[in-house]
Amino acid sequence: MESRPLVVVGAGAAGTAAAIEAARAGAHVTLVDENPIPTSIVALNVPQLFGQRFSDELNDSQLMTDCVTASNQRLVEAEEAGVDIQLGTCVWGAFNNTETSRLLDGPQIGLSNYRRSWMVKFDRLIVATGTRDLSIGFSGWHLNGTIGANGVHSLITRYRALTARRMVIIGSGNLALNTAKMALDHGIDVPAIVEVSPTLQGDASLATDLQNRGTDIYTSHTISRAYGRDGEIESVTIVEIDDHARPITGTEKTITADTVCLAIGLTPNVELLSLLGCDLSFNADLGGHIPIHDDAMSTSIENVLVAGDAAGVHDAMALDPEIARNQGRIAGLTAAASLRTITDAEAESRISDIPTIPFAPSDTQNLRQKWFDSFANAGGHNIYVCPCEEVTRADIVGIHPPRYLEWRSNQMDGRSLQTQLQDNPVNPNQIKRLTRAGTGTCQGRHCREQVALLLAEESKTDVSQIPLSTYRPPVRPLPLSVLWPEDESEEIRNQWPKWFHPPGKVLG
Amino acid sequence: MPPITADIAIIGAGVSGLASAYYLAKAGLDVVVVDKGLAGGEASGRNGGMIGERTDDPPVIPIAVESINLWKTLEQELGYPTEFTHQGRIQVAVTEEEMNDLFTERDVASRQGITMELIDPEHVQDLIPGISPRVLGGAFFPNGGHANPQRSVQAFAWAFQDLGGRLYQNTAVTGFKLGNGRVAAVETTAGDIAADMVISAAGPQTAILAEMVGVHVPVAPARVEILATAPIEPLFDIALVGNGLYGRQAVRGNLLFGGGPHEWADVDLTSDPNKTNTPLIINIGRRLAEILPAVADVPMLRTWAGIVEQAPDYIPIIDFLPDPSNYLVVTASAHGFGICPATGKAVSELILNGESSIDISAFTLSRFSDIKSDWRQQRGWVPAA
Repeated sequence: MESRPLVVVGAGAAGTAAAIEAARAGAHVTLVDENPIPTSIVALNVPQLFGQRFSDELNDSQLMTDCVTASNQRLVEAEEAGVDIQLGTCVWGAFNNTETSRLLDGPQIGLSNYRRSWMVKFDRLIVATGTRDLSIGFSGWHLNGTIGANGVHSLITRYRALTARRMVIIGSGNLALNTAKMALDHGIDVPAIVEVSPTLQGDASLATDLQNRGTDIYTSHTISRAYGRDGEIESVTIVEIDDHARPITGTEKTITADTVCLAIGLTPNVELLSLLGCDLSFNADLGGHIPIHDDAMSTSIENVLVAGDAAGVHDAMALDPEIARNQGRIAGLTAAASLRTITDAEAESRISDIPTIPFAPSDTQNLRQKWFDSFANAGGHNIYVCPCEEVTRADIVGIHPPRYLEWRSNQMDGRSLQTQLQDNPVNPNQIKRLTRAGTGTCQGRHCREQVALLLAEESKTDVSQIPLSTYRPPVRPLPLSVLWPEDESEEIRNQWPKWFHPPGKVLG
Repeated sequence: MPPITADIAIIGAGVSGLASAYYLAKAGLDVVVVDKGLAGGEASGRNGGMIGERTDDPPVIPIAVESINLWKTLEQELGYPTEFTHQGRIQVAVTEEEMNDLFTERDVASRQGITMELIDPEHVQDLIPGISPRVLGGAFFPNGGHANPQRSVQAFAWAFQDLGGRLYQNTAVTGFKLGNGRVAAVETTAGDIAADMVISAAGPQTAILAEMVGVHVPVAPARVEILATAPIEPLFDIALVGNGLYGRQAVRGNLLFGGGPHEWADVDLTSDPNKTNTPLIINIGRRLAEILPAVADVPMLRTWAGIVEQAPDYIPIIDFLPDPSNYLVVTASAHGFGICPATGKAVSELILNGESSIDISAFTLSRFSDIKSDWRQQRGWVPAA
């Protein structure tokens, strides 16, 4: 098996900075990034909500590699610093020994270039996996054309392949405003920005610029429904809401649009950290479940570090990549010092030169809750929570078995989330098993937070108390033929037992 | 706090415990079930869902046969879905050695009165479209199938509650109050449970609990892994064993397959054991793609693991301890899911009538009367250092 001293996952602002800093400090650094991602995976809304708004150019892998390279000028710096850069390489798994798994030869990650896969052992790992779009479903969001802010950013800046023509943006924080600006700059119409709260959430001067370019900003509004034929969004209806996030009759306005962009928040990508056993905690100000880490960006697992949005994200980071970059530099120096390529004193001295940028926590959780409530108030409870498996909010509240079972009984009718809550504290893993929400091809990326919000609401529990549904490998939906281990050992090949038999014949 | 009283206290809300609880409650007994976690939270809800008459462990055949009879009407009986599919089970051979095994199994099947048909590769192709041309033949057991473990265990839990049964989840056992050769009460984090009879259906925790009443019950926990692919169009509805794997296509369309090396583990009475996945999942995936080349390009969506317990001879134990004498051990050596309805029926008959109409004579504890207390170390059935 390949072994690498330091692997950095993710070549965004934080990961690239970490790789450069560690390489300059003498470390042998491998920087992997999953982009460009094949169309087959992008079409599953993995890892972002791409909404099927991408062009056929995505199929041209050479062109996409050129675009991805051109989109990150700092990769040149990284290359000059001696970083081994592997684009088009995703990390689909991370493995570490636990109480019940003791046979691994050290912590390791599974990588793939979408044609084959291989395992890599590491001495240090910096996880700079960024965020994914926070998805909260509204009526009609399962139609093609519902995209996330990260999906827009990726398709515009990395792939130059966004096909949206007219986009309504949900949310008015800096993430949303920045997305609107980027869309306008690329010739996409942005007729409306919709904000659930009475006030604009993001930078006022940026909002004024957008208004001057013809974008209307609707505060105290929500989306009541997206409409379309043949599975494609053609228009959206927005509506004004009262103080209780309820729609005000007679205020509906229908806007022609082929795309609706959810830009209401981001969720740190903690799958790999979770798989490795890093302690996580819920922090509403920083996007949800985030890794516990110290100022040097070390997690609770000794050889695993974190940097950038994956360590926790707030709205100011959408406008200022310097925040993530600084975290990356700190993580890179910490890793280098722990690998003894520079002294602790030298690392500390360099870290002390990196400014820390304070941030003002915003009322993220209340805002998410308000969006969540307003969508149901305006669009009803038959909104899909999990479009992959066609599970609605009503299905979860009723813990309905999946529709394809066509199961009806008086006993089942007597069961609901409420009766379940009488028996045990709410548990998202259990809800997943009963309703199938989260078992679809997007691997639960676009329903996790909604299920948690719904369970919190139904159980009158703070969302911070809802346990994190378990992450499992592979964290990318790769074909069996791609994950196929070419270097399968003789032992695994030839001594593979048949269940537990024959007696005593057991590997490991 | 005052003790909880009941006729029967059952430790463990897995399929064995809940099926026993259901049939006992149906017979009119007042039953309490406790579990350190959720109903079906461990192996009962995590297994492959296979149901059938397995010729590799002949003593299990009678209870398996009775179970299949019960599975046929189980969801109507319980009032909740189980996704039971009764289209048979097929075991395929990809090597000459495995072909020879099938002939041996045919002999076992014939002796045990089980219907089994050896079929040629073309016939296997008819039953499992897209199966590898490397397949040399198969053994088809028409009386077999599969069900959804999570739904089934939940169905037993709910049906038990519908009969008035009390289910205490997130409630760990902390000890036993003993007196006059009997358990007087089970001590739990929800208080003492005073019952006439205690059933230990605690899976991997079986040995630790028995140790607390001074008896050595030889079972060892092990961690095993399984995977699920993305859903595909219906391809086959038969339970499939072959190329070192076992599995099925779920009603939803996902392929669920497990198998391969297990890892011996230790567990305790209170914590949620770590059910880790290892890189073995891609070896399982490869074997699935080898045996079903038609699905090689289907994405693997997720994986999971579970902890099962095994007795030294891989067959269940359903027997009373000699002392304390009101303590019934029920542990299934990883046969638990498929045989759960008949396990529940056998346990209820054993308690109500003193004997079961199902042949469980091989499931005694006394078969291990000579076993040394360090048998796990001697066999190497212990976690790596």
